[in-house]
Amino acid sequence: MMMIPVKSLCKEIVLFLGLSIGCALLVNALSPKGIALFGDWDPTQGVVTAKAKDMVIDHELEIDSVAQAKQIYDSGRAVFVDARSADAYAEAHIAGAVSLPVGRFDTAIETFMQHYPPQTYLVTYCSGRECDDSHRLAQFLMETGFFNVSIFIDGLPGWQQEGHPIAK
Amino acid sequence: MQLRTHPLLELSFRWLVGWVFIVSSINKIGAPADFAKIIYGYYLFPAATINLIAIILPFVELFTGLALIVGYLPRAAALIVSGMLIAFIVAVSINLARGHQFDCGCFSLSQSDLPSSARQVLIRDIFLLMLSLHVVFFRYNRKWCLRQSGGLMTELRN
Repeated sequence: MMMIPVKSLCKEIVLFLGLSIGCALLVNALSPKGIALFGDWDPTQGVVTAKAKDMVIDHELEIDSVAQAKQIYDSGRAVFVDARSADAYAEAHIAGAVSLPVGRFDTAIETFMQHYPPQTYLVTYCSGRECDDSHRLAQFLMETGFFNVSIFIDGLPGWQQEGHPIAK
Repeated sequence: MQLRTHPLLELSFRWLVGWVFIVSSINKIGAPADFAKIIYGYYLFPAATINLIAIILPFVELFTGLALIVGYLPRAAALIVSGMLIAFIVAVSINLARGHQFDCGCFSLSQSDLPSSARQVLIRDIFLLMLSLHVVFFRYNRKWCLRQSGGLMTELRN
């Protein structure tokens, strides 16, 4: 009769899983790209994030309601900056927003800086709470010298949902 | 000797599956935050498990892939690989069935695995599962093995 060698098989599996878990936790702890053991994955609490070491999600910079973003927009004191790709921007964007795709930051920032001095109040946004491009863009902008930056976390979907001005 | 029981066939299956798993683990290990985002995008896993899966799963892929290539306890390695493939197949199938667009994150983390290719992903995973199960159940002497193991249902047979 054929029998599964359960004992030896379990030992072998435990060996592989133990080695993998040990190395994974060690590499994650030492790597600059490591992430926290538990991330923030509830969109109702803010932008979802794995909480990586090299990605600072600063909730203090967040504008977490569309009404507040609209108030700032209407005051005219901020420049809204679209962190999504140029194609997504061309499809639809907040009226008056400037495109600065986070994926092309290095090449686009020089032109951007020619038009906007470091003291300009910038509000970055992307595709809502499941998108962290606006946070990455805010981080890059602050590293470049802009010190007055906020992040509109509901992004274009939230803005559109409230029927606020969109441009194409 | 029949082709089905030929050690060279087992070796080629083992190498192919091992190579695929090593390649697929590399990007994930290099960018755990991106991989965690992809896992979140499946909308299947509790929030508390997402980061742990993103940290640990790529290393399970790497070590089992390496074990298959060098032939270290290939039965257990292939059994774990088969378990992972079944899990991938279930996850992709659920999202396909509910029409949810997602990035499978199988090899690249740059969204080149387009949602439209989810069916191809499914076919590829089923194909790899068949190869992997062949390795699991292979009960003869394996070629180029650092440490031999028998088949799932029996110890080593010469």
